[in-house]
Amino acid sequence: MNPDIAAGFIAATLPGSLLATAIGVGLGLIVGMIPGVTVSTGIIMVLPLTFALDPTISIALLLGIYAGGMTGGSFSAVLLNIPGTPSASATILDGYPMARKGEAGRAISTSIVASFAGGFFSFLCLYFIAPSLADLALRFQAPDLFSVVFFGLTVICTFAARSPVKGLLSAVLGLAIVTIGQDPVMGTARFTFGNAEMLSGVHFLSALIGLFAIPQLVDNMLDLARGAVEQRTRTRMGSLLLGTADLKAMGMPVAIGSVIGAFIGILPGAGGPIAAFIGYDYAKRWSRDPNRFGKGCVEGIAAPEAANNAVTGGALIPMMTLGIPGDPITAIMIGALLVHGLAPGPLLFMQRGDFAYALIWSFMWANILTLVISLAGVRLLVKVLGAPRALLMPAIAILCVIGSYALRNSFFDVWVMLAFGLVGIAMRYIDMPVVPLLLALVLGRQLEEYLRLSLTASKGDPTVFFTSPFSLLFLALSVVSIVWAFTAERRGGSRSAPAA
Amino acid sequence: MRLKNLVTALVLIALGAGYGVLTAGLPRRSLPNSPDPSFFPWIITGCLLLLSAILLVQGLATPRSARDNGVPAPPLRAPAVLLVAFVAYVALLSFAGFLAASVPFFAVLMALYGERRWIAIGAASLLVPVMLVLLFRHVLQVPLPTGVFAGWIG
Repeated sequence: MNPDIAAGFIAATLPGSLLATAIGVGLGLIVGMIPGVTVSTGIIMVLPLTFALDPTISIALLLGIYAGGMTGGSFSAVLLNIPGTPSASATILDGYPMARKGEAGRAISTSIVASFAGGFFSFLCLYFIAPSLADLALRFQAPDLFSVVFFGLTVICTFAARSPVKGLLSAVLGLAIVTIGQDPVMGTARFTFGNAEMLSGVHFLSALIGLFAIPQLVDNMLDLARGAVEQRTRTRMGSLLLGTADLKAMGMPVAIGSVIGAFIGILPGAGGPIAAFIGYDYAKRWSRDPNRFGKGCVEGIAAPEAANNAVTGGALIPMMTLGIPGDPITAIMIGALLVHGLAPGPLLFMQRGDFAYALIWSFMWANILTLVISLAGVRLLVKVLGAPRALLMPAIAILCVIGSYALRNSFFDVWVMLAFGLVGIAMRYIDMPVVPLLLALVLGRQLEEYLRLSLTASKGDPTVFFTSPFSLLFLALSVVSIVWAFTAERRGGSRSAPAA
Repeated sequence: MRLKNLVTALVLIALGAGYGVLTAGLPRRSLPNSPDPSFFPWIITGCLLLLSAILLVQGLATPRSARDNGVPAPPLRAPAVLLVAFVAYVALLSFAGFLAASVPFFAVLMALYGERRWIAIGAASLLVPVMLVLLFRHVLQVPLPTGVFAGWIG
């Protein structure tokens, strides 16, 4: 047995790590269930904490929020008919009708159990697939790595945007921003205008905090200005107990949702909302009695909840093996790890195998603790739905500033965060997705580095990208994803994936 | 949406052109047989201009009826005040330090988010920043901005 597996398990199971996971799960359940506060924002709130903590404890905390947040989103979907996170949108279809029948407790228990099953299935995928994929990725040369990164960027553009042109423009803008600072090969200063602070470029975590948190602060204020009243749940919870018939009915939808969710999670940018709706759709198609869907049945909750939680482990696979984030949350995790000098990618398993496995085991604990904490504390947790925005939003605003300042003890990063907040607001206004820009900020330097190294090695011969089978495969997939996106747009299909 | 797309496309074309001009001014030094530092920015310039042009053409091809007529404009005063308060807060941070700047900022934001009880505003805007200072600076050793009041208050 690989000694890193045991070392990782011990590190993830130490009391400090388990406590961090449990705190993360609690926070995740809370931020997940509050409509208007996404899981990304929850993670941004604790980001400055992670700079000071041990990397294993930091990642345990973040994974706890990730797993807990995905489950928490369903609580408000069932009780308020408002999804706490975009990923819980499909849960409304059957969750709220069950709540109206006085079975809110049963609906929430279904959601918790299905979320656990989906999350645990994705842990198994992560445990068995990630190390093998990392081994394969170690054989990649610079042209292959360029093509993989290029594929990651193009596929997110096609999934994350209603308009593929706007998705691609968003990514290109991100790449342009990445070129600010020293170039990755020669160290030449580019677009710095003589400013020494710009030499190290834009830190993508500052940009990410601004892009995601500030538009959310503005959105909440707009809701208030429009007169949207904070909703408090008056729905009766009823019994939380699930019968044998319920558990039996959940089996097939959970299996369908888990497989679909884990697969979609691996695709960068597709995310929880798409997985949840596809999972729901397939569970309905394969059901013996599809007419029950939409009227309040456990199958209609189990499938989307298993799917959106299975996305989490799926999204961790490209993050850990290729260094490609599948969604904003995994992008933040990459940033948090980079602060600790740990670079996710194929070398992580080789150089810090103990840490890579600690991450995988922490993810398992995050799913188990989400099940335990949410079942034990659901009656208490839902009281948070009445938490005042007037306290929460200012706290988020201040934590954004701490998070961006603490990165490099620099006000430059705080101004960058604020500037990206304005960019994020403008992009929402023109319906341009921010996720491709974010991914370009994360991957842009690698893309340029691999491109230039490949061309240097081949003495400027661009056919180097078509002679390697891996490179050719990923370039072909990139072309397919772009062509598919433009074709779908022409047919009027909507493929937008809201932020997690 | 048609007008938004047209304006966006024109702004991005201008941005692409400006980026291209700056790229042309980049140093040319390079290793033998290696692309120079302006190589990647030129690709970006090309993509930016091409995609913006496609967006412009798409905007022009969209029928005028597709404009978002009758959609009420969002109330912008409160978000504008929020952003101004944010800018003022960041500007004040470097001078006054974390605690002295955060207390009034927190109070202003609480009021903006609808809190009308002055006792609650006063208590929370003092307590939350103080707790954050204790947690980050003293427990976790995460540096927070210090200003002219350093040594007196956070």
